[in-house]
Amino acid sequence: MRRSSYAAALAGNTGSSPANTAPTRSGAFSHLVNSSTPHTISQHRHSRSIDADGHHNSMSTSWGRGGALPSYSSQTGHWQGLGGGAQDIPPFFVPSYLRGSKHAEKLQEAHKAKLAAQREFRSTQSPNAGSLSTSSSSANLHKLAGSHRGLTHEVIERAPVFVDEPVSPWPMKWNESDKFAQLDIEDGGRQAKFSGSQKTHDEAASVTVVSKGKDGRMIGVGFSGPKVALSRIPGWEPDSFAYHGDDGQIFNNTTSGKNYGPKFGTLDVIGCGINFRTNTAFFTKNGHMLGTAFRDLKPNMPYYPTIGMKKPGETLRANFGQEPFAFDIDKMVQDEKAAIQEEINQTKFISSAASAPDETQFIHRLISQYLAHDGYVETAQAFAEEIVDEARALANDDDTIIPYQEAVEDMDALNRQKIRAAILEGDIDRALKHTQAYYPSVLRDNENIYFKLRCRKFIEMIRDCNELTTQCQSTHTSKHTASNPNNHNSTATDEYDFQMELDEQFGVNNPTPSLDDTDDDDDDDLDDKQAKLQQLTANTIAYGQELGAEFANDPRREVKQALKDTFALIAYENAKESSLAPLLETDGRVPVAEELNSAILVSLGKSSSAAIERLVQQTEALVSELAEDGGPGAFINVRKDFLQ
Amino acid sequence: MSSSTVSVSAGTPTQHPFQRKIDDIKPSKTDINFVVMDYLVSEGYPRAAEKFAKEANIQLPLEEESIQSRVEIRQAIHAGDIDTAVTKINDLNPQILDTDAALHFALLRLQLIELIRSCTSSATSDVTPALSFASSQLAPRAATNPDFLKDLELTMTLLIFLPATGKLQKELAELLEPSLRRDVASRVNEAILMSMGARGEARMRSLVRLRQWAETKARESNRDIPPVMSLGLQDAEERPIGHNGESADVMVQ
Repeated sequence: MRRSSYAAALAGNTGSSPANTAPTRSGAFSHLVNSSTPHTISQHRHSRSIDADGHHNSMSTSWGRGGALPSYSSQTGHWQGLGGGAQDIPPFFVPSYLRGSKHAEKLQEAHKAKLAAQREFRSTQSPNAGSLSTSSSSANLHKLAGSHRGLTHEVIERAPVFVDEPVSPWPMKWNESDKFAQLDIEDGGRQAKFSGSQKTHDEAASVTVVSKGKDGRMIGVGFSGPKVALSRIPGWEPDSFAYHGDDGQIFNNTTSGKNYGPKFGTLDVIGCGINFRTNTAFFTKNGHMLGTAFRDLKPNMPYYPTIGMKKPGETLRANFGQEPFAFDIDKMVQDEKAAIQEEINQTKFISSAASAPDETQFIHRLISQYLAHDGYVETAQAFAEEIVDEARALANDDDTIIPYQEAVEDMDALNRQKIRAAILEGDIDRALKHTQAYYPSVLRDNENIYFKLRCRKFIEMIRDCNELTTQCQSTHTSKHTASNPNNHNSTATDEYDFQMELDEQFGVNNPTPSLDDTDDDDDDDLDDKQAKLQQLTANTIAYGQELGAEFANDPRREVKQALKDTFALIAYENAKESSLAPLLETDGRVPVAEELNSAILVSLGKSSSAAIERLVQQTEALVSELAEDGGPGAFINVRKDFLQ
Repeated sequence: MSSSTVSVSAGTPTQHPFQRKIDDIKPSKTDINFVVMDYLVSEGYPRAAEKFAKEANIQLPLEEESIQSRVEIRQAIHAGDIDTAVTKINDLNPQILDTDAALHFALLRLQLIELIRSCTSSATSDVTPALSFASSQLAPRAATNPDFLKDLELTMTLLIFLPATGKLQKELAELLEPSLRRDVASRVNEAILMSMGARGEARMRSLVRLRQWAETKARESNRDIPPVMSLGLQDAEERPIGHNGESADVMVQ
């Protein structure tokens, strides 16, 4: 009875294991959820922590995982279970120690996608269909629900491998379905209570039992591999590691512990963390580090936070990072991060080409090549001159060879620069003309770019209309308010500070009724502008019709969508204040220009991306490779830390 | 869809799987432009920075008032005119050299090297100016720090070996390399930037190092990555690190 009265719970790794009620589903589901936990792939090996505030015996356990084998790398089942369960997805949180990490970013995206998927799922299907559709695993169901099997050792089975979820989450709650039968999970999955052999023990009872004192109480906090039986206290089995409260000893695969830390009991907060970089584990008590407890953890073993308790009524409450941890884990992570940063800073440049013998020259080549490649002709020239000046100053002798000259005189670069400049100015016609003249095949071969340019032209026309309307309006207003003439200029430039009154724009062709007959300079000006506006509006409409006709039969969905969005602009009197305003931003010119530039480069048989872009790509790819098993790459967020 | 691009990538026969991961990453032009601009400004290429702001339609960072002085200081150091450089640095902010003894020492040592160079190449080969500069300026500082002392001793041996035109041993030859001036100049530049509260080092440098570090780490841990990852700098025949002779350069020319 001693052993069997021991209950253990594993923490599921996400909030994705909501309590399932329907037995059939929960069977399948439990299995899936279970299996999903091991797949913490591409993981941070940061220590992840779970912290707990104690009800009676409190603990915090922290759990980190990394390095699951690639074959585990998927969690379809997990997703499915979710969709099928049709439970609400619990709120997403990022533990403080992971904030700003690439991993957290990925998971956040995944979470959003999950919510979206769930929405879609709910709207289209009955919940059950989904959960069953995938699981080849539903055959070997985890046996758990409801039975009080006392002595049974529950062996957790692995689910077959799915390939779906690329990012594995951190632990968020105890796994409802992966626990000893008599352990109750409460409070949103964070509180675990040993209910004893009968459900009739209620909370009050547990309080009293706990408050009885230390004797006989036995609580273990730690982590364990996926195959560890849940009927024995953590630490006694292979791949099970724990810190016990009754004697302060640590255990791994043994029933005789090693002295480690103080005992712990009611209201103590115990933290547990794994450092996946060093493959060590540590515990903390009430915010104090107790030191390394275990070394040489298996890098590829998926570890789950685990708690175990022996007496009915004992209750533990876990904090997986929902609340600040008692221990300053952030500091620890910062230190790790700083160590890696320092390592990177100390990295010596290895020359890979004769033309770039050292870091500075390598960088100069990267920049020159980028500038030439992307057609920043004048910048490239200025840069080359400055580099040459620098090299001259540096040279000991006058006859030193000036390192290099990037071929800026390249005609193509000049042409491409013209085209880019035209687009960035919003003069799409000029860009089209140049492109047609210099690179006739490009527009023909890249219809989508041609389409985007045409759409952009329409947007530019709308912009012009808007601009003119604004001017008319402000002229108008200033005249009517008869305020001092300076007002005119100031308001004319302010796009937001006016009330739309004119309704003749965009196709409603009746002349402005409000245009009255007082004649002063403003009015002449205004008349002029009104006329121009009308003309422009008419042109815009005509152009829009032409554009619509040209692509009317295009079957592609994105084309249809783009047309729809673009044309919608016309519906607004002042599109700048509409929800479509982002379309009007001049920023929108940049991607079009870049895309055209790349297409031209490809047509010339050149690479579409510059060396520095490839450098960034390689770096990101390498870093995420290094982050895969929680290695040092996990501490790096290339974009955040290096590109901004 | 541009069928041309599709056929190009499909045409490369033995593409390493890692290459696809690389290709899947789409760096943003905005980020790249930022890194380039950051480099131009922090390493002191004002004309290029100005043109770039115009051509790429991005903002020139405003805080950069020091850029011109930093360029002048760099030029002075590169030209071996350390006196001018020190004066200009102190004009900008006297605290910089006061608080960074190592940097100040590096500048003085550079000055000593220039002195030795000019003394030994003069007609009389009179080394007195170099000796007196060393004993008045460097020796007192060297007494405070073993690293300084080592550097000073090494530098002084130049006096003995330099006239004897023969081959200098490597560490002595390095003292005469332009790269030493450049290194000191960039340390000064960083110190100035830091003193203004800016980030010391250009992002570009960290990025290049990160790339290097990541590749080294990945190879150390035997990740499945191609033996060569080309960047496609035209003439840069990037040399394989692994000894698999076949180039895995899958760059689309």
